[in-house]
Amino acid sequence: MSRNLHEINFEFKTENPTDFSGEFVHFGVVGSGDMEVILEHKDLGGAVRAKIVTPVTGYDEVWRRVLERFVIDTGVANASIEINDNNATPVVVSLRLRQALSEID
Amino acid sequence: MSSKWENIQKRSFLESNARTRAIGLVDPDTFTELAGPRHRISSPHLPLLGEAVEFDDGIVTGVGFVGKKPVFVASQEGRFVGGAVGEVHGAKLVNIVRMARKAYDEMLTANPDLPEEKRPAMVISFETGGVRLHEANAGLLAHAEVMDQFQDCKGKVPIVALIGGRVGCFGGMGFVAAATDAIIMSQFGRLGLTGPEVIEEEMGKDEFDASDRALVYRTTGGRHKYIMGDCNVLVADSIAAFRIALHEILLKPYCEIAAMSCIGSLEKIQSQLKLVDLCVETAPKDARDVWKSAGNENPDDLTDMPLDEFLKTVKRLTDRC
Repeated sequence: MSRNLHEINFEFKTENPTDFSGEFVHFGVVGSGDMEVILEHKDLGGAVRAKIVTPVTGYDEVWRRVLERFVIDTGVANASIEINDNNATPVVVSLRLRQALSEID
Repeated sequence: MSSKWENIQKRSFLESNARTRAIGLVDPDTFTELAGPRHRISSPHLPLLGEAVEFDDGIVTGVGFVGKKPVFVASQEGRFVGGAVGEVHGAKLVNIVRMARKAYDEMLTANPDLPEEKRPAMVISFETGGVRLHEANAGLLAHAEVMDQFQDCKGKVPIVALIGGRVGCFGGMGFVAAATDAIIMSQFGRLGLTGPEVIEEEMGKDEFDASDRALVYRTTGGRHKYIMGDCNVLVADSIAAFRIALHEILLKPYCEIAAMSCIGSLEKIQSQLKLVDLCVETAPKDARDVWKSAGNENPDDLTDMPLDEFLKTVKRLTDRC
Protein backbone atom coordinates (compact mmCIF):
# COMPACT_ATOMS: atom_id res chain seq x y z
CA MET A 1 0.00 0.00 0.00
CA SER A 2 1.35 3.37 -0.96
CA ARG A 3 1.62 5.69 2.02
CA ASN A 4 2.00 8.79 -0.13
CA LEU A 5 -0.36 11.69 0.28
CA HIS A 6 -3.35 11.57 -2.01
CA GLU A 7 -3.97 14.42 -4.43
CA ILE A 8 -7.40 15.06 -5.97
CA ASN A 9 -8.14 17.61 -8.70
CA PHE A 10 -11.49 18.92 -9.91
CA GLU A 11 -12.80 21.63 -12.16
CA PHE A 12 -16.30 23.08 -11.82
CA LYS A 13 -18.43 25.52 -13.77
CA THR A 14 -21.40 27.27 -12.29
CA GLU A 15 -24.59 28.44 -14.03
CA ASN A 16 -24.66 31.95 -12.60
CA PRO A 17 -21.11 32.88 -11.74
CA THR A 18 -20.23 35.76 -9.45
CA ASP A 19 -16.58 36.57 -9.84
CA PHE A 20 -14.45 35.71 -6.82
CA SER A 21 -13.92 39.12 -5.28
CA GLY A 22 -10.89 38.47 -3.13
CA GLU A 23 -7.36 38.25 -4.45
CA PHE A 24 -6.09 35.75 -1.89
CA VAL A 25 -7.59 34.22 1.25
CA HIS A 26 -6.13 31.66 3.60
CA PHE A 27 -8.24 30.08 6.31
CA GLY A 28 -7.97 27.23 8.79
CA VAL A 29 -5.42 25.03 10.50
CA VAL A 30 -4.50 21.46 9.54
CA GLY A 31 -5.37 20.04 12.94
CA SER A 32 -6.67 16.53 13.43
CA GLY A 33 -10.09 16.33 11.74
CA ASP A 34 -9.59 19.78 10.26
CA MET A 35 -8.21 21.45 7.13
CA GLU A 36 -6.91 24.68 5.67
CA VAL A 37 -7.87 26.31 2.40
CA ILE A 38 -6.44 28.91 0.07
CA LEU A 39 -8.92 30.68 -2.21
CA GLU A 40 -7.21 32.62 -4.94
CA HIS A 41 -8.42 34.61 -7.89
CA LYS A 42 -7.48 32.94 -11.19
CA ASP A 43 -8.71 33.76 -14.66
CA LEU A 44 -10.21 30.40 -15.60
CA GLY A 45 -12.97 31.53 -17.95
CA GLY A 46 -15.55 31.31 -15.17
CA ALA A 47 -14.42 27.96 -13.86
CA VAL A 48 -13.27 26.93 -10.41
CA ARG A 49 -10.28 24.64 -10.03
CA ALA A 50 -9.83 22.64 -6.84
CA LYS A 51 -6.85 20.71 -5.55
CA ILE A 52 -7.08 18.63 -2.40
CA VAL A 53 -4.12 17.06 -0.63
CA THR A 54 -5.19 14.52 1.96
CA PRO A 55 -4.01 11.32 3.65
CA VAL A 56 -7.51 9.87 3.14
CA THR A 57 -8.20 7.69 0.10
CA GLY A 58 -11.44 6.41 -1.37
CA TYR A 59 -13.55 9.52 -0.82
CA ASP A 60 -12.97 11.34 -4.10
CA GLU A 61 -16.68 11.29 -4.94
CA VAL A 62 -17.59 12.80 -1.56
CA TRP A 63 -15.03 15.55 -2.08
CA ARG A 64 -16.45 16.25 -5.54
CA ARG A 65 -19.97 16.58 -4.19
CA VAL A 66 -19.03 18.81 -1.25
CA LEU A 67 -16.98 21.14 -3.47
CA GLU A 68 -19.56 21.19 -6.24
CA ARG A 69 -22.24 22.12 -3.70
CA PHE A 70 -20.01 24.95 -2.44
CA VAL A 71 -19.45 26.26 -5.97
CA ILE A 72 -23.15 26.06 -6.90
CA ASP A 73 -24.41 27.60 -3.65
CA THR A 74 -21.96 30.47 -3.59
CA GLY A 75 -21.69 30.97 -7.35
CA VAL A 76 -17.98 31.55 -6.91
CA ALA A 77 -16.10 31.66 -10.23
CA ASN A 78 -12.63 32.35 -11.56
CA ALA A 79 -11.01 30.95 -8.46
CA SER A 80 -8.61 28.25 -7.45
CA ILE A 81 -9.27 26.32 -4.26
CA GLU A 82 -6.36 24.57 -2.58
CA ILE A 83 -7.01 22.38 0.42
CA ASN A 84 -4.64 20.68 2.82
CA ASP A 85 -6.77 18.17 4.67
CA ASN A 86 -6.22 16.03 7.72
CA ASN A 87 -9.29 13.82 7.97
CA ALA A 88 -11.89 16.60 8.02
CA THR A 89 -15.49 15.40 7.71
CA PRO A 90 -17.65 16.75 4.82
CA VAL A 91 -19.47 19.07 7.25
CA VAL A 92 -16.20 20.59 8.44
CA VAL A 93 -15.03 20.98 4.82
CA SER A 94 -18.23 22.83 3.91
CA LEU A 95 -17.97 25.06 6.95
CA ARG A 96 -14.29 25.96 6.41
CA LEU A 97 -14.88 26.83 2.74
CA ARG A 98 -17.70 29.20 3.67
CA GLN A 99 -15.68 30.69 6.53
CA ALA A 100 -12.82 31.32 4.11
CA LEU A 101 -15.17 33.06 1.71
CA SER A 102 -16.59 35.23 4.50
CA GLU A 103 -13.06 36.39 5.37
CA ILE A 104 -13.09 38.54 2.22
CA ASP A 105 -15.68 41.01 3.47
CA MET B 1 -7.62 51.09 14.27
CA SER B 2 -8.91 47.96 12.61
CA SER B 3 -11.89 46.30 14.22
CA LYS B 4 -10.45 42.88 13.38
CA TRP B 5 -7.43 43.62 15.56
CA GLU B 6 -9.74 44.88 18.32
CA ASN B 7 -11.71 41.62 18.21
CA ILE B 8 -8.54 39.58 18.41
CA GLN B 9 -7.46 41.30 21.62
CA LYS B 10 -10.36 39.94 23.66
CA ARG B 11 -9.81 36.39 22.52
CA SER B 12 -8.37 33.61 24.63
CA PHE B 13 -4.70 33.07 23.86
CA LEU B 14 -5.21 29.37 24.59
CA GLU B 15 -7.98 28.99 22.02
CA SER B 16 -6.47 31.17 19.30
CA ASN B 17 -4.44 29.88 16.41
CA ALA B 18 -0.84 30.84 15.77
CA ARG B 19 -1.64 33.48 13.14
CA THR B 20 -4.24 35.25 15.28
CA ARG B 21 -1.72 35.44 18.11
CA ALA B 22 0.99 36.84 15.85
CA ILE B 23 -1.29 39.54 14.45
CA GLY B 24 -2.62 40.45 17.88
CA LEU B 25 0.75 40.78 19.60
CA VAL B 26 1.97 43.74 17.57
CA ASP B 27 0.33 47.10 16.85
CA PRO B 28 -2.84 47.14 14.69
CA ASP B 29 -2.30 46.48 10.99
CA THR B 30 1.48 46.33 11.30
CA PHE B 31 2.02 42.57 10.99
CA THR B 32 3.58 41.39 7.74
CA GLU B 33 3.85 37.64 7.39
CA LEU B 34 7.03 36.26 5.83
CA ALA B 35 7.17 32.84 4.18
CA GLY B 36 3.45 32.45 4.87
CA PRO B 37 0.76 30.23 3.31
CA ARG B 38 0.98 32.26 0.10
CA HIS B 39 4.47 30.86 -0.47
CA ARG B 40 3.31 27.31 0.18
CA ILE B 41 6.52 26.07 1.74
CA SER B 42 5.31 22.84 3.29
CA SER B 43 7.24 19.87 4.60
CA PRO B 44 8.94 17.76 1.91
CA HIS B 45 9.05 14.75 4.27
CA LEU B 46 5.49 14.34 5.52
CA PRO B 47 3.95 13.44 2.10
CA LEU B 48 6.30 10.44 1.82
CA LEU B 49 4.87 9.15 5.08
CA GLY B 50 1.28 9.84 4.02
CA GLU B 51 0.95 12.56 6.66
CA ALA B 52 -1.01 15.77 6.13
CA VAL B 53 0.95 18.91 5.31
CA GLU B 54 0.30 22.59 6.01
CA PHE B 55 1.16 25.55 3.78
CA ASP B 56 3.11 27.24 6.60
CA ASP B 57 4.49 24.02 8.14
CA GLY B 58 2.97 24.90 11.50
CA ILE B 59 4.70 28.19 12.24
CA VAL B 60 3.83 31.80 11.49
CA THR B 61 6.79 34.11 11.02
CA GLY B 62 6.78 37.81 10.33
CA VAL B 63 7.46 41.29 11.54
CA GLY B 64 5.37 44.07 13.02
CA PHE B 65 5.75 47.16 15.15
CA VAL B 66 5.33 47.93 18.80
CA GLY B 67 5.44 51.70 18.86
CA LYS B 68 8.58 52.51 16.89
CA LYS B 69 10.20 49.17 17.60
CA PRO B 70 10.33 46.53 14.85
CA VAL B 71 9.26 43.27 16.49
CA PHE B 72 10.04 39.99 14.75
CA VAL B 73 7.47 37.33 15.57
CA ALA B 74 7.48 33.54 15.41
CA SER B 75 4.30 31.77 16.48
CA GLN B 76 3.98 28.00 16.56
CA GLU B 77 0.72 26.22 15.72
CA GLY B 78 0.06 23.47 18.24
CA ARG B 79 -2.78 21.90 16.29
CA PHE B 80 -0.53 20.94 13.38
CA VAL B 81 1.56 17.86 14.36
CA GLY B 82 1.58 19.15 17.95
CA GLY B 83 3.59 22.20 16.93
CA ALA B 84 6.57 19.92 16.38
CA VAL B 85 9.70 21.26 14.72
CA GLY B 86 10.43 19.81 11.29
CA GLU B 87 12.81 20.98 8.59
CA VAL B 88 10.79 23.87 7.13
CA HIS B 89 9.28 24.84 10.48
CA GLY B 90 12.74 24.93 12.03
CA ALA B 91 14.27 26.84 9.13
CA LYS B 92 11.57 29.49 9.42
CA LEU B 93 12.16 29.85 13.15
CA VAL B 94 15.94 30.02 12.78
CA ASN B 95 15.77 32.53 9.98
CA ILE B 96 13.33 34.91 11.60
CA VAL B 97 15.68 35.12 14.61
CA ARG B 98 18.61 35.60 12.24
CA MET B 99 16.67 38.30 10.42
CA ALA B 100 16.01 40.15 13.68
CA ARG B 101 19.72 40.14 14.50
CA LYS B 102 20.69 41.17 10.96
CA ALA B 103 18.19 44.01 11.10
CA TYR B 104 19.80 45.11 14.36
CA ASP B 105 23.30 44.99 12.84
CA GLU B 106 22.29 46.95 9.75
CA MET B 107 20.30 49.54 11.65
CA LEU B 108 23.09 50.12 14.15
CA THR B 109 25.72 50.32 11.41
CA ALA B 110 23.66 52.95 9.62
CA ASN B 111 22.93 54.82 12.84
CA PRO B 112 25.09 53.97 15.87
CA ASP B 113 23.02 56.34 18.04
CA LEU B 114 19.74 54.58 17.29
CA PRO B 115 17.60 54.96 20.44
CA GLU B 116 16.58 51.74 22.21
CA GLU B 117 12.92 52.30 21.44
CA LYS B 118 13.65 51.82 17.72
CA ARG B 119 15.89 48.75 18.04
CA PRO B 120 14.50 45.40 16.93
CA ALA B 121 13.23 42.73 19.30
CA MET B 122 12.27 39.09 18.87
CA VAL B 123 9.20 37.39 20.31
CA ILE B 124 8.42 33.68 20.06
CA SER B 125 5.08 32.16 20.95
CA PHE B 126 5.92 28.56 21.79
CA GLU B 127 3.39 25.80 21.34
CA THR B 128 5.31 22.64 20.67
CA GLY B 129 6.31 19.19 21.79
CA GLY B 130 9.83 19.66 20.41
CA VAL B 131 11.30 17.65 17.55
CA ARG B 132 8.95 16.36 14.84
CA LEU B 133 9.79 12.67 14.85
CA HIS B 134 8.93 12.25 11.16
CA GLU B 135 11.88 14.48 10.26
CA ALA B 136 13.85 14.20 13.44
CA ASN B 137 17.37 14.94 12.16
CA ALA B 138 16.33 18.22 10.59
CA GLY B 139 14.22 19.05 13.63
CA LEU B 140 17.07 18.43 16.07
CA LEU B 141 19.46 20.42 13.93
CA ALA B 142 17.00 23.32 13.96
CA HIS B 143 17.00 23.25 17.77
CA ALA B 144 20.78 23.66 17.76
CA GLU B 145 20.66 26.34 15.09
CA VAL B 146 18.07 28.42 16.88
CA MET B 147 20.16 28.26 20.08
CA ASP B 148 23.10 29.43 17.97
CA GLN B 149 21.04 32.36 16.72
CA PHE B 150 20.08 33.20 20.31
CA GLN B 151 23.77 33.44 21.16
CA ASP B 152 24.33 35.81 18.25
CA CYS B 153 21.48 37.95 19.57
CA LYS B 154 23.16 38.39 22.98
CA GLY B 155 23.88 42.02 23.70
CA LYS B 156 21.79 43.04 20.71
CA VAL B 157 18.27 41.76 20.29
CA PRO B 158 16.10 40.88 23.31
CA ILE B 159 14.13 37.63 22.92
CA VAL B 160 10.84 37.17 24.74
CA ALA B 161 9.03 33.83 24.99
CA LEU B 162 5.26 33.48 25.32
CA ILE B 163 3.72 30.21 26.48
CA GLY B 164 -0.05 29.91 26.68
CA GLY B 165 -1.13 27.36 24.09
CA ARG B 166 -2.83 24.04 24.65
CA VAL B 167 0.20 21.92 23.78
CA GLY B 168 2.53 23.84 26.10
CA CYS B 169 6.25 23.94 25.43
CA PHE B 170 8.06 20.64 25.83
CA GLY B 171 10.96 18.59 24.60
CA GLY B 172 13.96 20.34 23.11
CA MET B 173 11.93 23.49 22.73
CA GLY B 174 11.69 23.61 26.55
CA PHE B 175 15.45 24.24 26.50
CA VAL B 176 15.07 26.80 23.74
CA ALA B 177 12.41 28.69 25.70
CA ALA B 178 14.64 28.66 28.78
CA ALA B 179 17.43 30.23 26.71
CA THR B 180 15.33 33.32 25.90
CA ASP B 181 15.65 36.51 27.94
CA ALA B 182 12.17 36.61 29.46
CA ILE B 183 9.21 34.23 29.62
CA ILE B 184 5.56 35.25 29.82
CA MET B 185 3.05 32.52 30.63
CA SER B 186 -0.64 32.16 31.39
CA GLN B 187 -1.84 29.69 33.99
CA PHE B 188 -2.82 27.38 31.13
CA GLY B 189 0.65 27.49 29.65
CA ARG B 190 2.88 24.54 30.45
CA LEU B 191 6.64 24.38 30.26
CA GLY B 192 8.88 21.38 30.71
CA LEU B 193 11.40 19.07 29.12
CA THR B 194 9.97 15.56 29.08
CA GLY B 195 6.22 15.80 28.60
CA PRO B 196 3.83 14.15 31.08
CA GLU B 197 2.81 11.32 28.72
CA VAL B 198 6.43 10.48 27.97
CA ILE B 199 7.34 10.36 31.67
CA GLU B 200 4.43 8.01 32.30
CA GLU B 201 5.42 5.87 29.32
CA GLU B 202 9.02 5.57 30.50
CA MET B 203 8.66 5.46 34.28
CA GLY B 204 5.15 4.15 34.88
CA LYS B 205 1.92 5.57 36.25
CA ASP B 206 3.20 5.46 39.83
CA GLU B 207 5.93 7.91 38.93
CA PHE B 208 3.72 10.31 36.99
CA ASP B 209 0.06 9.94 36.13
CA ALA B 210 -0.37 11.96 32.92
CA SER B 211 -4.18 11.65 33.09
CA ASP B 212 -4.18 13.53 36.42
CA ARG B 213 -4.65 17.04 35.06
CA ALA B 214 -4.27 18.70 38.45
CA LEU B 215 -0.92 16.96 38.90
CA VAL B 216 0.19 17.88 35.38
CA TYR B 217 -0.68 21.55 35.88
CA ARG B 218 0.86 21.90 39.30
CA THR B 219 4.07 20.34 37.97
CA THR B 220 4.36 22.06 34.58
CA GLY B 221 1.71 24.82 34.55
CA GLY B 222 2.11 28.59 34.59
CA ARG B 223 1.39 29.06 38.29
CA HIS B 224 4.05 26.54 39.30
CA LYS B 225 6.58 27.98 36.86
CA TYR B 226 5.90 31.45 38.27
CA ILE B 227 6.54 30.26 41.83
CA MET B 228 9.71 28.47 40.71
CA GLY B 229 10.96 31.57 38.88
CA ASP B 230 11.04 29.70 35.57
CA CYS B 231 8.67 32.27 34.12
CA ASN B 232 8.99 36.00 34.71
CA VAL B 233 5.43 37.19 34.21
CA LEU B 234 2.13 35.40 34.72
CA VAL B 235 -0.82 36.87 32.83
CA ALA B 236 -4.50 36.22 32.21
CA ASP B 237 -5.50 34.11 29.22
CA SER B 238 -6.18 36.75 26.58
CA ILE B 239 -4.18 38.00 23.63
CA ALA B 240 -4.42 41.52 25.09
CA ALA B 241 -2.92 40.37 28.40
CA PHE B 242 0.02 38.75 26.63
CA ARG B 243 0.47 41.79 24.38
CA ILE B 244 0.45 44.24 27.30
CA ALA B 245 2.96 42.15 29.28
CA LEU B 246 5.14 41.85 26.18
CA HIS B 247 5.05 45.59 25.54
CA GLU B 248 5.94 46.34 29.15
CA ILE B 249 9.03 44.18 28.82
CA LEU B 250 9.99 45.67 25.44
CA LEU B 251 9.89 49.17 26.96
CA LYS B 252 12.80 48.27 29.22
CA PRO B 253 16.39 48.85 28.13
CA TYR B 254 18.13 45.77 26.69
CA CYS B 255 20.31 45.14 29.75
CA GLU B 256 17.25 44.96 32.02
CA ILE B 257 15.52 42.48 29.74
CA ALA B 258 18.64 40.33 29.51
CA ALA B 259 18.86 40.35 33.32
CA MET B 260 15.45 38.62 33.47
CA SER B 261 16.89 35.50 31.85
CA CYS B 262 17.29 32.42 34.03
CA ILE B 263 20.71 31.71 32.54
CA GLY B 264 23.80 33.73 31.80
CA SER B 265 25.73 34.61 34.95
CA LEU B 266 27.63 33.04 37.82
CA GLU B 267 25.32 34.71 40.36
CA LYS B 268 22.32 33.10 38.72
CA ILE B 269 23.91 29.67 38.84
CA GLN B 270 24.81 30.17 42.50
CA SER B 271 21.28 31.13 43.45
CA GLN B 272 19.94 28.20 41.47
CA LEU B 273 22.32 25.90 43.33
CA LYS B 274 20.69 27.14 46.54
CA LEU B 275 17.42 25.80 45.13
CA VAL B 276 19.09 22.44 44.62
CA ASP B 277 20.25 22.52 48.25
CA LEU B 278 16.70 23.34 49.30
CA CYS B 279 15.46 20.39 47.29
CA VAL B 280 17.93 18.02 48.96
CA GLU B 281 17.06 19.42 52.38
CA THR B 282 13.27 19.23 52.09
CA ALA B 283 12.96 16.23 49.72
CA PRO B 284 9.66 17.44 48.21
CA LYS B 285 7.20 14.75 47.11
CA ASP B 286 4.91 17.14 45.24
CA ALA B 287 4.94 20.63 43.77
CA ARG B 288 2.91 21.80 46.78
CA ASP B 289 5.78 20.89 49.10
CA VAL B 290 7.99 23.23 47.08
CA TRP B 291 5.37 26.00 47.24
CA LYS B 292 5.35 25.59 51.01
CA SER B 293 9.14 25.89 51.09
CA ALA B 294 8.77 29.14 49.17
CA GLY B 295 6.76 30.49 52.10
CA ASN B 296 3.20 29.75 51.03
CA GLU B 297 1.45 28.56 54.19
CA ASN B 298 -1.55 27.04 52.42
CA PRO B 299 -0.25 25.74 49.10
CA ASP B 300 -3.51 23.90 48.32
CA ASP B 301 -5.35 27.22 48.04
CA LEU B 302 -3.00 28.48 45.34
CA THR B 303 -4.27 26.23 42.58
CA ASP B 304 -7.86 27.43 42.56
CA MET B 305 -7.81 31.08 43.63
CA PRO B 306 -8.47 33.73 40.94
CA LEU B 307 -5.37 34.90 39.12
CA ASP B 308 -5.23 38.46 40.51
CA GLU B 309 -5.59 37.14 44.06
CA PHE B 310 -2.92 34.52 43.33
CA LEU B 311 -0.51 37.19 42.10
CA LYS B 312 -1.11 39.28 45.23
CA THR B 313 -0.66 36.47 47.74
CA VAL B 314 1.87 34.10 46.19
CA LYS B 315 5.42 33.86 47.49
CA ARG B 316 8.00 32.88 44.91
CA LEU B 317 11.14 30.83 45.36
CA THR B 318 13.02 33.63 43.66
CA ASP B 319 12.12 35.88 46.62
CA ARG B 320 13.71 33.38 48.94
CA CYS B 321 16.98 32.65 47.16
